[in-house]
Amino acid sequence: MPPKRAKLARQAASNWQGLPPEVIAKRTKRHLDELENSNYSESAPGPGQEQDDEGTYTKGRARQTISDKRKVTIPGTSPAATGKKSTMNVRTALLYRKNFATLIEESNIAGLTPSYLTAAAPAPTYPPRLLCSVCGYLGAYQCRRCGMGYCDKNCEGVHNENRCVL
Amino acid sequence: MKNPIVVLDNGASTIKVGVVTRGGEGKEPRVVQNAIIRSKGDKATYVGHEFKACSDFASLHYRLPFEKGYVVDWDAQKAVWDGIFSDQVLNLNTTEASLLITEPYFNLPNIQEVYDQFIFEEYEFQSYYRCPPASIISYGSLFSHSSLSPPECMIVVDSGFSFTHVVPIMEGKVIWEAVKRLDVGGKLLTNQLKELVSFRQWNMMDETYIMNHVKESCCLVSPDFKHDLEVCRVDPKRNPIIREYVLPDLTKNKRGHIRHPDDIVMDNDQVLVMNNETFTVPEIIFRPDDIGLDQAGLPATIAHCISLLPADVQGMFWANIGLIGGNTKFPGFKQRLLAELRTMAPVDSEVVIYKADDPITEAYKSAYNFASKPEFTQHVVTRAEYAESGSNASRRKFPDWRKFKQAEKEKGAGKQLEDDRPQPSSGKPPKARSKPVAGSSSMRRR
Repeated sequence: MPPKRAKLARQAASNWQGLPPEVIAKRTKRHLDELENSNYSESAPGPGQEQDDEGTYTKGRARQTISDKRKVTIPGTSPAATGKKSTMNVRTALLYRKNFATLIEESNIAGLTPSYLTAAAPAPTYPPRLLCSVCGYLGAYQCRRCGMGYCDKNCEGVHNENRCVL
Repeated sequence: MKNPIVVLDNGASTIKVGVVTRGGEGKEPRVVQNAIIRSKGDKATYVGHEFKACSDFASLHYRLPFEKGYVVDWDAQKAVWDGIFSDQVLNLNTTEASLLITEPYFNLPNIQEVYDQFIFEEYEFQSYYRCPPASIISYGSLFSHSSLSPPECMIVVDSGFSFTHVVPIMEGKVIWEAVKRLDVGGKLLTNQLKELVSFRQWNMMDETYIMNHVKESCCLVSPDFKHDLEVCRVDPKRNPIIREYVLPDLTKNKRGHIRHPDDIVMDNDQVLVMNNETFTVPEIIFRPDDIGLDQAGLPATIAHCISLLPADVQGMFWANIGLIGGNTKFPGFKQRLLAELRTMAPVDSEVVIYKADDPITEAYKSAYNFASKPEFTQHVVTRAEYAESGSNASRRKFPDWRKFKQAEKEKGAGKQLEDDRPQPSSGKPPKARSKPVAGSSSMRRR
C-alpha cells in the first residue's frame, strides 16, 4: 500500500545512524589532503623535513641549507657560483621556508579578482557517482555506518572487516 | 645576441631547459627532475639531474620544491637550479646570460618577488623574462594547421603535475578573469593509484616512482566509463581491459614493464594486475567528484570558462582548444574530451581540439621560439632596471594577472579593494606601495 511504504522509506532515511555529515566532510578533506602528499608517511610531517639531512630542525631556524652542502661548479662570478655571501633576501628565502597556506595569507590576494582563490573550477552540476570502495565498480549500496559505497555482499564483507569507520 | 639566452620551463615535476643557439640544437630540451630524491637502496641523494644515475627505484623519498603548484621550498629549488647551471648540465656563466623562465598561473606576488631576487641577486642574470606557459604557446606549433597563422582566440588546457588550468587567450594575451583551475594533477592521480593498488593488491604507498611509471604506461581514459566498468566486472581475471605490469625485480632488471601477452611470467616475478584502475584513475580529471572533490570535471570547466568570455567570440574559442601538459598524454584523452565537449557546445559551434606532439616539451619549444625572436629583448627586465626599482620593474613589464596600473592609482585610497584583516604577522607594507629600493624584500623574519 503506497502510503505505508513511503512512510517507511522516509523513516529509514531519517534514521540515518551513520556518521554525521560534518565528519564525512572532514574525512573527505583529509583524504584529499593526503592525496597531495609527496611521500607517504604515518605521521605525515611536511615534505623534506628529515632530521638527518637538516640537522637540528627542532632547534629553530638556524639550520643549514641543502644547497650549501653540495659541491657543484658553476662558471662565472655570481654568488651561486663563487660561494660569496648571498644577499639578505636570498638567505631569508632559503632558510625560512613557509608553507603554501602561509604564503597565500601573506600575499594579500584575498580581495582581488581574478586571483588564485577565485580561479577554482565551479562546483559540479550533477550529483556524485557512488563507487564501490572495495572493487571500484558502481556502488549500489551505502554502508550504514560510514557512508562508503559497496556493490555486493562480498565487497560488503571486505568493507566491514577492513575499512568501516576508520 | 651575444649573451646566451636560457629557456627554462620550471615545472613541478620536471624542468625543461636549454640554451638558444643559432643552429637550433637547443630545440630539444634537457628534461631534469625538479626534486631532491633520496634512495634508500642506493643510500644516496640525487639532486635534479643526478637522478639519472639512480639504480634502485624502490621506496624513493621525494623532496619537491613545489607545493600545490607553487614554489615553496627555495632551498630545494636552488639546489636543482645550481645543478642545472653547473658544468654537469649547461655549464653556463649566468652573469652573462639572459633567462626566460615560466611560472605557474596566478603566481603569488610574494613568490614572484623571490623569483626576481634569486635570478638577479643570486645568479646575477643580465636580464630575464617570466611568464606562465600558456601565454607563449602561440609562438609554438600547437595550433599550426598547414599555412594558417596562429588563431586569435584560443583555449589552452594545461594539465600538469599539480593541477589543470583552462586558459583562454585572445590576441596573445591571457584573459585572466576567465582562467579556471581544476585541482587534479598527475601527483593526485599517482597517489590515488597508490591507494587503490595498496588496498587491493600490494602495498605500494612508498613507491612513488614505480606507481608513476605504472600510471604512465598502463592507464588510459575510457570513452565510456559505465560500459568499461561492466566489461571489467564480467570477468575480473580475463577481459580486454586488463593490463598487467611486471614490477621491477630489485636484484635483476631495474625497470618494470607492461607484460605483453606472450611474456612468460617467472614464478618469483610480482605482477600488478590493473583492472578497472586503468581507467578509473584518469577518470578523476573528468569527474573529480568520484573522490569527493567538489569541482566540476574538465569538460564542464572548459564550458564554464568559455561562457565567461564575450558572447560574439565564443565560437572561435570552441574551435581552438589546445592540450599541453603531461596529463594529456593518456591514450583516449582527446577523444573523450571531444565527445563530452561536443555535448556541451552550442550546436552551431565547431569543436576542434589540438593535441601537442609532445605535451611535456610543448611549452618549452614555444618559449624557445619566443626567445629566439629579436623582439624578445624588448620584453625582458634587465639587471639595471631591477637595481633601480626592485620588483616593481618586473611587475610593470611582465604581463600579469593583477592589473597594476589600477593598483598604483588606487594606492592613495589605501587599498580598499582588500577586506580589512588584521595585518599578517610579517607586518610588511601592502604591495601596491612601491618601494624604490633595490631588491626590497617584504619577507621579514618572523
